[in-house]
Amino acid sequence: MSEPTRAVKVWDLPVRLFHWLLVALFLFSLLSGKMKGNWMEWHMYSGFAILALVIFRILWGFAGSTHARFSSFLAGPGACLRFAKRLLSKAPAYVAGHNPIGGWMVIILLLSLLLQAGTGLFANDDISIEGPLYKFVSKEMSDRLTAIHYYNFNVMVFFVFTHVAAVVFHVFVKKENLVSAMFTGTRNLDAATEVPAARFASSWLALILFALALVAVYLVVKRPF
Amino acid sequence: MKKKMVMIAVVAALGAGASFQAAAQAKPEQLVKQRQSAMVLIGWYFGPIGAMMRGDRPFDAAVVARNAGYLEVLSKLPAEGFQPSTKDEKTKAKPEVWSDKAKFDKAMENMQGEIGKLAQVAKGGDMGAIKTQFGATGKSCAACHDDFRMK
Ligand code: HEC
Ligand code: HEM
Repeated sequence: MSEPTRAVKVWDLPVRLFHWLLVALFLFSLLSGKMKGNWMEWHMYSGFAILALVIFRILWGFAGSTHARFSSFLAGPGACLRFAKRLLSKAPAYVAGHNPIGGWMVIILLLSLLLQAGTGLFANDDISIEGPLYKFVSKEMSDRLTAIHYYNFNVMVFFVFTHVAAVVFHVFVKKENLVSAMFTGTRNLDAATEVPAARFASSWLALILFALALVAVYLVVKRPF
Repeated sequence: MKKKMVMIAVVAALGAGASFQAAAQAKPEQLVKQRQSAMVLIGWYFGPIGAMMRGDRPFDAAVVARNAGYLEVLSKLPAEGFQPSTKDEKTKAKPEVWSDKAKFDKAMENMQGEIGKLAQVAKGGDMGAIKTQFGATGKSCAACHDDFRMK
C-alpha cells in the first residue's frame, strides 16, 4: 500500500473557519431551538449568522481558492461510481480536495441549511416569537413553512450524521487525516495521487465577501428602509 | 382597570360554572371551538409581553401586568375543551391528548402554575424578573405543543 508521504495544503483559512463556525452554530441552533423560552431569541441570531455563513460559502464556491470552488469538486455520476468502488476496495482513495461523493454532500448540506434558515425567517411558534419575515406571509403559509423548518431539521440531522460517519470511515478505515486537515489545512497524500496546481485566494477577499453576506442578511432581517 | 379585571374574573367564573354542566352535552365541534378560542386568546395576551422582553416593543409594566392578569384566568379555560368526544374532529390535537391523559393534564397544570407566577412577578414591574418568568412560561407552552400538538 502506498504511504501518505506528501503533505499538501488544500483547505484555505476561510474554508476552515467557515467549517468550524458552522459546527458551533449548528449545535447552538439545535440546543436553543429545543430549549425554547427565551433561548428562541438567540436561536434566531444564530440562524442569521448561519445564513450569512452559507451565503459566504456559496460566493466562495465561485470566487474562492481552487479546492473551495464548486467547479473543482462537482463530478458526474460516473466519477462518483468509480470513486465508490475505489473506496470499498483495499486501494487507497486519496483525493486532494473534496472527493466526488463528498462534493455532493457539500451541496446537500449547504442547500438544506439554506432551506432551514430560509424557512426560519418566516416561522412562528404560536407562543411568542416569529421570524423577521413572518409579517409578509399569511398565517397558514407561515405554519406550513414552520412545519418544513421542523421536518427539514430531522433531514439535516440525517445528512450531518452521514457526513460524520463518512469522515470516520475515511479516518479509521482509509487512514486519511481528514479531521486534522480541517484544522491545519494540510492533507497527507500518497505519491500516486494526482495533485492539481491549486491557487489560493486571499483571505481579505473572503473577509469582504463575508461582510457582504452579513450586510445582505442584515438588510433582509432589519429592513431599515 | 381594576373594574375590568373583576369583570373578567366574574364572567370567567360564571362561564366556568355554567359550562361545566354544558360540557357534558356540548357538541364536539363546540368543544373544539372553545379550546381553540381559549388558546388564541392566550397567545394574544402572551405574545406582546415577549415582544417587550425582546425590545421589539417599548416596555410598559402596566400592559404586562394587565395581560398577565387576563392570562391567569384564560389559562384555566382550554382544559375543558379537550373532551374525549372531540377525538375524531379534524384539529391539531394529537391522539396522545387522550391516550396519555395524565401527562397532558400535568402539562396543562404546569403551564397554569407558570402563568400564575408570571402574574405575580408582573405586579412587581421588574423587567428582568418578568423576562425570566416569561421564558419559563413559554417553555411550559412549548413542552405541551411538542408532545400534543401536530406541526
Ligand atoms: C397542555 C397542553 C397545552 C399547553 C400547556 C398549551 N397549549 Fe396551546 N395548544 C395545545 C393544543 C393541543 C393545541 C391545538 C388545539 C386544536 O387544534 O384543537 C393548541 C393550540 C394553540 C394555539 C393555536 C390556536 C388555534 O387554533 O389557532 C395557540 C396560539 C396556542 N396553543 C398558544 C399557547 C400558549 C401561548 C401557551 C402557553 C401560555 C399554550 N398554548 C399552552 C395544547 C397546549
Ligand atoms: C434564519 C434563522 C432562523 C429562524 C428565524 C428560526 C426560527 C425558528 C422558530 C420560530 C422555531 C420555533 C418553531 C416551533 O416551535 O414550532 C424554530 C425551531 C427550531 N429551529 Fe429554527 N430558525 C432559524 C434557523 C435555524 C437553523 C439554521 C437551524 C439548525 C441548524 C434551526 C433549527 C431549529 C430547531 C432544531 C428547532 C426546534 C424544532 C422543535 O423540535 O420544536 N433553525 N426555529
